[in-house]
Amino acid sequence: MPTRPTTTSSPPVACGIGAHAFVEARLTQIGPLRDRPGPEGSPPLPPRFLRHCDEQTVVGMHAVLAAIASLPAERRVCERHGVVAASCQAGRIVTASSLAKLRPQGAVSISPHIVPQCSLHSVAGAVSVALGMHGPNVGIGGGPDAVAEGLFTAISLVRPGGGADADGVWLVASDWAEEPALDETGAAIGDPVCRALALFVQPAAAEAASLELTIHFPTEPLASPGGGEASDVLGDFARAAAMCAGGGPLASWAVECPWPAEIRLTRRAAWAAPSRPLREAA
Amino acid sequence: MTAPLHKDCEPVVITGVGLVSPLGSTFAGIADALLAGVSGVKAIDPGEFGREARQFAAPVIEIPVPPAAVGGLDEREFRGLGRLEQMCLSPVAHAIADARLSLGPGARIGLVLGLGAEALKTWELDFLAGGTRVFEPRRDRTLVHRLADRLGLRGPAVTVAAACASSGYAFAVARSWLDAGWVDACIAGGCDVISPVGIAAFYNLRALSRRGDDPAKASRPFDRDRDGFVMGEGGGFFVLERASDAAARGATPRAELAGIGMSSDGAHMVIPSTDPTHAARAISQALSDAGVAAADVDYVNAHAAGTPVGDVAEAGAIRLALGDATDGVPVSSTKSMSGHLVSGAAAFEAVACLAALERQAVPPTLNLDSPDPQCPLDHVPHVARARRVRVAASNSFGFGGSNLCLVLRRAA
Repeated sequence: MPTRPTTTSSPPVACGIGAHAFVEARLTQIGPLRDRPGPEGSPPLPPRFLRHCDEQTVVGMHAVLAAIASLPAERRVCERHGVVAASCQAGRIVTASSLAKLRPQGAVSISPHIVPQCSLHSVAGAVSVALGMHGPNVGIGGGPDAVAEGLFTAISLVRPGGGADADGVWLVASDWAEEPALDETGAAIGDPVCRALALFVQPAAAEAASLELTIHFPTEPLASPGGGEASDVLGDFARAAAMCAGGGPLASWAVECPWPAEIRLTRRAAWAAPSRPLREAA
Repeated sequence: MTAPLHKDCEPVVITGVGLVSPLGSTFAGIADALLAGVSGVKAIDPGEFGREARQFAAPVIEIPVPPAAVGGLDEREFRGLGRLEQMCLSPVAHAIADARLSLGPGARIGLVLGLGAEALKTWELDFLAGGTRVFEPRRDRTLVHRLADRLGLRGPAVTVAAACASSGYAFAVARSWLDAGWVDACIAGGCDVISPVGIAAFYNLRALSRRGDDPAKASRPFDRDRDGFVMGEGGGFFVLERASDAAARGATPRAELAGIGMSSDGAHMVIPSTDPTHAARAISQALSDAGVAAADVDYVNAHAAGTPVGDVAEAGAIRLALGDATDGVPVSSTKSMSGHLVSGAAAFEAVACLAALERQAVPPTLNLDSPDPQCPLDHVPHVARARRVRVAASNSFGFGGSNLCLVLRRAA
């Protein structure tokens, strides 16, 4: 994992991370997750709730449930939570198979679920509905810069005066580890890995937060702002979160934005590492 | 946590507007059309994939070329862009020009694009043109970053999606950046385009009106005989600035973006909740945020798309939020004229509120021949109503249970 020098910045804006989980699942593992997402003991979702959802929604839901399961029982009530979901090209497999059928079968073949379940808002909407969250829910990004866009937006909404009347928001960042190639019917070639990171982003003063997110605006423009798909932003950030929270030697990590800013993840000094693993494989 | 209210912060004002819509592409022209009760709904070519022989929608007839000084494209280059990119670039550039905003190298200007299905539309339009983009394992930068690069904007740039509330959320995000001091100005709004898959999906969901015999009568929010919405396209963008920054550079505010409320039903992915509590909370939160009482609201631009369930749910939310003041507040749905602009709807309807604030008149709801008794509101059927309008509210609701309300206040 590469390290980067930090930048000099104007006063940072901080938020806490109260829970987090990272989930990876192969395409062939996603079917069972649709029926029963989340670790053992997770609250059941409405029957067949994930039946029409795209893969990133299923894995994102599993990640949120895994993060909730890491919380003490009294902190698992989600009613006053919001959701910011930063997906990357979600719904592509369903869209491809729909387009492949459009010419031979006509418009009747288009699923009524494609807009509500396979658009940029879909991950956020599904998490909000499934878990009864009444704070704002919004999709962010949609492309290779989604992680930075999602982190930036979550912090902007949660900071005091940010406008979200909620106790915090779930940032759900998701993508395919490698964008899958699809055949002419829209089916994925191989067994690609879908993944999602769930972070509960809270106001900075939240005592239970183990990690902190800060936005830094450099006084001098960055030579080359971040962005694009050259690096594995989601994977690196998820691994860094696990290492920072786990008490290892890594205590901070930075994500460059596609504009002159960076978002830094740091372990809070007083935080004691938990005894359970923070990374969960489906 | 209860969010601090915007009434305690420096005002954020709208200093520029850019539009592309079924009712035209200038503010004055659109305001004229809205107050005259002009419908943009018409029969369209059903094309290869139309479900019915006679299809109708509210299309954008012409997308204006951006001003030469903004974006640096000539007409041939502009027309070479994809339709979605044209539909966003044009109003963004016109908003910048309208605000006379300098894009110099030191300016921190943000861009928030409300667009709910960029990927789906991009893949579809490419596929229909013979492309294979959707099948290829590649990730292209999203439109908001291409727009920011093209315009030389150096501030934060994000795409936000809350389905039919997307462009309203764009205003919320932009205002939070201004409040935090992260940008000097921010361009925010949203747009959408009509596409065969979009029409098919909403038709198959039974969300679209099927009154093909008389398209201009099809969009009839709050009417007893409504049977769904009419697909529209286009949208709008605002230049937002802190009031002191606008004053310092001599910009004239069109209105203040005074209050925003956001909530989620947490109930169903598609159908609005029959419990009005959470939609009403977004409205109440926006009013509190703006520091206005329900009785101070002079006009509500309803989300009301003309769906049987949605209009009733919204009427309940308005009544719950405004309480005893409800019967004195005129409510109309401009979707009866523009159709439903989906991602661009909240922005376009904020423009309808601007028109009400500037012209001191409330736009009507067309085709409201027989108001549904389940939607007991002070409707404005058929013709505009002259009225003193100092505070206007605009509701937007979206798939995934998103609720959003904007409150605009007349510029001081």
